Amino acid sequence: MTDIKQLKLTANRNRKRIVEMVYQAGVGHVGGALSVIDLLTAIYELEVDFSEEKRTRVVLSKGHATPALYAELAQKGIIDEKDFPTFRQINSRLQGHPYTCDIPQVDATTGLLGQGFSTALGMALVKKREQDPHRVYAIAGDGETQEGQIWEALMMAAHYKLDNLVYIFDYNKLSSGHPTNEVINLEPLADKLAAFNYHVIVIDGNDMEQVVNALKEVRTVSGRPVAIVANTVKGKGVSFMENVPKWHSSGLTDAEYETAMRDLSAREEEICNEL
Amino acid sequence: MSYDTITLRELVGGVLVEAGKENKDIYVIDSDLAKSTTTNQFEEVFPERFVETGIAEQNAMSIAAGIATEGRIPFYVNFAIFVSGTCWTQLRQICYANLNVKLIATHPGMDGGYDGATHHANEDLALMRVLPNLKILAPSNPDELKAAVQIAIAHQGPVYIRCVRDAVPNLPAKETVQMGKAVVVEDDGDDFALIYEGSATELAFKSFAACREKGKKGKLINLFSIKPVDRDLIRQTAGTVKRIVTIENHSVIGGLGGLIAETVCDIPGHAPVLRVGVEDVFTESGPSGLVKEKYGLNVEHVLGKLGD
Repeated sequence: MTDIKQLKLTANRNRKRIVEMVYQAGVGHVGGALSVIDLLTAIYELEVDFSEEKRTRVVLSKGHATPALYAELAQKGIIDEKDFPTFRQINSRLQGHPYTCDIPQVDATTGLLGQGFSTALGMALVKKREQDPHRVYAIAGDGETQEGQIWEALMMAAHYKLDNLVYIFDYNKLSSGHPTNEVINLEPLADKLAAFNYHVIVIDGNDMEQVVNALKEVRTVSGRPVAIVANTVKGKGVSFMENVPKWHSSGLTDAEYETAMRDLSAREEEICNEL
Repeated sequence: MSYDTITLRELVGGVLVEAGKENKDIYVIDSDLAKSTTTNQFEEVFPERFVETGIAEQNAMSIAAGIATEGRIPFYVNFAIFVSGTCWTQLRQICYANLNVKLIATHPGMDGGYDGATHHANEDLALMRVLPNLKILAPSNPDELKAAVQIAIAHQGPVYIRCVRDAVPNLPAKETVQMGKAVVVEDDGDDFALIYEGSATELAFKSFAACREKGKKGKLINLFSIKPVDRDLIRQTAGTVKRIVTIENHSVIGGLGGLIAETVCDIPGHAPVLRVGVEDVFTESGPSGLVKEKYGLNVEHVLGKLGD
């Protein structure tokens, strides 16, 4: 089995975990978790070794997509799937947004949008100055990119030529209620990032091969930070959720849950049958 | 009591350089005010541990979160209005994660006199006091500033040090300060207690001297540790003195006066708490001494609260 195929299967398994978690808990941001999961899965599976004392860090600045993070941490054995029904419920370690005190393997407490890029910058600065060879990956949502602090961090990371820092935009084109670019237009996003002195990589962020190639390309870059514009689909992988604003945040009915799991099982079979 | 005065703000850079020599984990973050806060001294000695963010305070605060996550000890040094106000939710997230971030806030209250109301941080204690996990220290002399920085380094978690820009009496600390402990600077009797924070030290001293001249016998208490507060001492004082007057270079809402009132409010028959500070208004430009006079920080106002 190819690495890509394995990663696709892991990402698909994480999609099932996301749906399971949000269904069982009855609440959660399922759409943005499904759009970002391919990126998150590839980064953790390929780049992060939790046994290292100093290691690659991942900042999920779009903290509301935390079902994706919890799914991948379950894949890594850090979270018990039995805890999924407690997500967002009282007395749970699975808080509504990533929280380092409850799960130390989470690299940044996020939730209030716009702050994670700066936190990642702080990590990358220390690593760069202290010759720690690990990278820092930070993922923001497209709606989140309307936050001014994102652009403060973008400007400064380029100024310091932090080539150990990778800023990823989960560009699923939908914010909580409207198409992101109808709320405030981000375009031309890739051109803006290039003008900010970034090595810009534009990919289909739900295509595992392109995601893996982008992570390989990151390793070739020196002298400036990397920005990955990942075009994604909100709700990716579940037929009735794709590109539907309602699935920014919603629980699932029994029937919806069954349909979603059927979709993802069919996809699993499809991946297994790929050459 | 005769004494020279000194500006604690001028000592910040030197104190951090000394701390940086002893502890290689210390980083200092600046937002284009290193000359004003004197952290340019740290930049000269330790450029590899100095981080210039430009005028981007929210970015700076969250960068401190990242530096702390990497196991280092970031000191973000900037004017109080920015540290406490501009990046409050960024700091709130740091406090929620209990990250090891240290803040030195210069120019508190009306210390930035000429800059006017925009830059007067008369709300910082109120904003900082409500944040869980955050410790707040208010040094009133050079020894206490040095001690506050050492206490902050020794403490695992976020600490806010309120650092005077105006002059304070250049006197040695009466005793070694500790987190959670107030300092009884003078104790003549139980007529009253004046309780003050570091940046109101000179007014507190002058007011206490005026009381002595009038033959009143009271206590002068330097709160130093705003959070955690010396609950036992404050409650005991509220049970023995006839009146408490709080003196703060801050709004009378939510700061020192509010803190003392909250600390004693459930004690039956406690001494009344009268607050000297800025009433619920915005201030204006001027020499800081005159601004403070006009907005309530003057000896007559303190004596008035004491019932004279």
